[in-house]
Amino acid sequence: MITKSLVSSIAIACAVFGVTSSAAYAAQCSGTIRVLAQPRDGLTLLERYKDEFVKLSGGADFQIDYLNENDRRAKTKADASTIGKYNVYYIDEANVALFASSGWVAPLLDYYPKENDYSDFDPGRQKVATYDGKVWFAPLTGGGDLMVYRKDLLEAAGIHPPKTLDEYVAAVEKLNQPDKGIYGTALRGQRGSGANVWRWMPFFKGFGGNWFDGKTPAFDSDAAVKATETYLKIFKYSAPGSQTGGWDEAVGAFTSGQVAMLIESTPLVGMALDKKSSQVADKIGYLPPPTPLTGGGYGHGLAIGMKANADDAAKQCAGLFVGWATSKENEQRRLEEGQFSELNRTSVMTSPKFAELYGPDLGQALAETGKVTAVNFWQSPQWPDLGDRWGIILEELITGTRTDVQGGLDELNDFAKDLVARSQ
Amino acid sequence: MKTKHILPAVFLTPAMVILAVLALVPTVYAVVISFQDRELSRPDGQFVGLANYLSLFSDRRFINAIQVSLSWEVLTVVLTLVMAIGLGILLFECTTPKVRNLLSLLFLVPVILPRVSAAFVWKFAFHPLYGIITYPYKALTGQPLDLLSNPLTALGTVALVDVWQWGLFFSVIVLKLLETLPPQPFEAARLDHAKTWEIYAYVAIPMLKAPLISLAFVKMIESLRAFDLIYVMTRGGPGISTETLDMYAFSQGFIESGRISYASSMAVLMMVATSIAFTFIWKRARI
Amino acid sequence: MSNRHIGRTVGKVALALAAFSAVFPVFWTVLNAFKNRVDIVTPTPLFIFTPTLDNFAYVLGRDSVFAGLLNSVIISGMAVLIGTVLGLPAAYAIARYPNRWSKDIQFFVLSLRFLPPVAVAIPLMVIWLDFGFYDTRLSMIITYTLLTLATVVWLSVPAFSRVPKEVEEAARVDGYGPFAVFFLIALPIASRSLIGAVAFSFVLVWNEFLIALMLTTSDAKTLPIVASELTQLGRDVPWGILNASVVLLSIPPLLFIGVLSGMLNSAFKRKSS
Repeated sequence: MITKSLVSSIAIACAVFGVTSSAAYAAQCSGTIRVLAQPRDGLTLLERYKDEFVKLSGGADFQIDYLNENDRRAKTKADASTIGKYNVYYIDEANVALFASSGWVAPLLDYYPKENDYSDFDPGRQKVATYDGKVWFAPLTGGGDLMVYRKDLLEAAGIHPPKTLDEYVAAVEKLNQPDKGIYGTALRGQRGSGANVWRWMPFFKGFGGNWFDGKTPAFDSDAAVKATETYLKIFKYSAPGSQTGGWDEAVGAFTSGQVAMLIESTPLVGMALDKKSSQVADKIGYLPPPTPLTGGGYGHGLAIGMKANADDAAKQCAGLFVGWATSKENEQRRLEEGQFSELNRTSVMTSPKFAELYGPDLGQALAETGKVTAVNFWQSPQWPDLGDRWGIILEELITGTRTDVQGGLDELNDFAKDLVARSQ
Repeated sequence: MKTKHILPAVFLTPAMVILAVLALVPTVYAVVISFQDRELSRPDGQFVGLANYLSLFSDRRFINAIQVSLSWEVLTVVLTLVMAIGLGILLFECTTPKVRNLLSLLFLVPVILPRVSAAFVWKFAFHPLYGIITYPYKALTGQPLDLLSNPLTALGTVALVDVWQWGLFFSVIVLKLLETLPPQPFEAARLDHAKTWEIYAYVAIPMLKAPLISLAFVKMIESLRAFDLIYVMTRGGPGISTETLDMYAFSQGFIESGRISYASSMAVLMMVATSIAFTFIWKRARI
Repeated sequence: MSNRHIGRTVGKVALALAAFSAVFPVFWTVLNAFKNRVDIVTPTPLFIFTPTLDNFAYVLGRDSVFAGLLNSVIISGMAVLIGTVLGLPAAYAIARYPNRWSKDIQFFVLSLRFLPPVAVAIPLMVIWLDFGFYDTRLSMIITYTLLTLATVVWLSVPAFSRVPKEVEEAARVDGYGPFAVFFLIALPIASRSLIGAVAFSFVLVWNEFLIALMLTTSDAKTLPIVASELTQLGRDVPWGILNASVVLLSIPPLLFIGVLSGMLNSAFKRKSS
């Protein structure tokens, strides 16, 4: 008992004086820090260095439970809104507003060890981790969009890499040769605010659409109709399996050589360049998405749960884990393992080792696409609800069980009004 | 004589009290919550009367779920019985006792498997790229066959797994039922030069009418438990083409939006509907 | 005659196909559980490969799988134990001491099975949340007791009815009291069928999915939930590991196949005599 109260008084003292040095807690964490996450090579890599964390924390262990992306979103929400058993949640740009405004996660910087230097993270990542003026998670991955294409196929067809959407659509149509096992593109059809809706939003935003005007839904517009029609049109040339597939299926189809060209989140480039997982590693080119498409800015990371970490000492321990998991040392390990998509620190991405592994092109493409990267979704705690509902309607449109685009948007409109009314 | 009165009370009371409490409390709770606007993240619900029930009937997904659930019931019950009777007769007609015993054991395997396992086994078998069932199609046409992402075939494909589990199991029961029949009517029919199928269609099956109705009844009840298969294999997709009532209530109450009151109103309607339907069938058929 | 012969051959082929369909998917899964990923993700299915134990080693080595296994054993075991201890006497009372409520009680027990699981799970989720027992083994055991108790009662009533009345009466003449008749005469005689009933209730809760999915998030997660989470991970996941976890989940119910088959046989024997 005495030790315990001593621990918490030290913790309180440190919090008061802002001394968040992990050394001060090194001997005081115990038990198991439970993490609910989605599979990431970087996290699996951490499990190899468990002993290092046990030593650093003075005895605390960690256990990571993995769920697929949609399930992870649903289960973190279900857990946080009920009993909150997890010390650390994996959250993302789309639900940071929900988690922060519901009080399910703690303001990160109060507990993030100073020596892990949060300001080293890429400014774009920092921006998506911020809501209501505070930072809520430490990034594990993030970025925008890139258009990735097969140089060999484009050359053979005499097509220049498209710069505008019209050129892009025409090229996809021309490159689609199902009888040769080559499909024009791969989109995401699977329902979900972070799945099909995610890939649809650059069209919606690119055509000038807006989600809300104040509290009034504004998305039932020509921009949305045009975006949906364009999306469905390109879907005619999308690889089989992508109609109900997400990121995994799209990446899989491209890296196995079935797809000529697609617009996807930036980590695709790393995976397509990796000879271990890609059959097209030496045939690809990449550019920012064609105009007027905007890039879908995103970021995923680790946040400190409020309920499971009842007192400040527990939050410090969770913060210690988050700090360690996203530390520069661990990012360097990821770099050495070739986990390009899980690098977030400026110091690592500008290091000589990075340039040596990925060449100057990629760095430049990333900088270029940064300029068109935008927040495409509605920044609100209710976004997951709205996005998921649109995801279902969009999936119906894609698989053909529904054909009226306008009717689908009207239905979403009613849903949005109801959603806003219920949250009052 | 006195102990004779004590035993039933001692033996029955604890079990019945526990069952009654465990069954009634949730039921009452479900009704109470269904009149509120509780959400998972907002436990302090307000009384809203019948609002949840009213909005259910203008909810397209709810109407769709009723249709999907009904199709599922009809599809699985009919196919299971057809398969069970067909295979049961074949087991009875074409096997030696040894083979019969072996097959009776093998046919139990699917139904004993956890539904999650069965669903995964078949989901993987139907995988458009690596599946063993879709392989011949892919080898012949060069095109992948994706039955689970096609709205026209998804529900049927999942139903196939259900029929695989229950049809094989019920065929063993049909066999046991046939074994209990007296041999005289069969012999009489054979003397009249009836064909084999006629013996079954006009003699054996009518004699087994009552137990077969019981089997249909049991299957109707078990078909309410479609959730596990659908959750693992399609999640209600593509679109909402395999979204049954339990899948929709689950996603509303838990995963998608945590609207437990809304989901409760669905649960109450389902309870009322199934209780009325099954009580009616039960009393009618006097099984 | 030859028509008949053809018919029988066709019938035998159909039976062979059915038997194949019953066992092959399971066999294939077991096979895949011993494969490396490269041997699974092939354009042509492979039957000959170098087997590996890595998948099982990984599955058994994961904390979440082990925790799920432990939860499943404890929760199913306790629920079956309570269901048996309370259910067998209740079933005996219904079978041997019929009164004017017996029919209603039997119908009530059966009607519990009419309840759609989701309709039970939603209010129970709220109840356990309100009482602070959400996601605990205790709440899962209590919930599953509803299933095991109803099943044990339902399946044991006919088993006790099949015990010859004369044997019980003879025991009573020998001076056995009603309780002694139950414990020393009825239970042993009906034991074969009763074991089947208990095994069935175990398989039922071991395999249960929806309620566990809604009533647990981490501490009390049962093995089916953990296995389903593994199977949903996505494309990059080693398929061998998924197959191994499914095999692990399926072993305990399959162990009872003999017992259940025996129960089926004894249940239908009565009618033939």
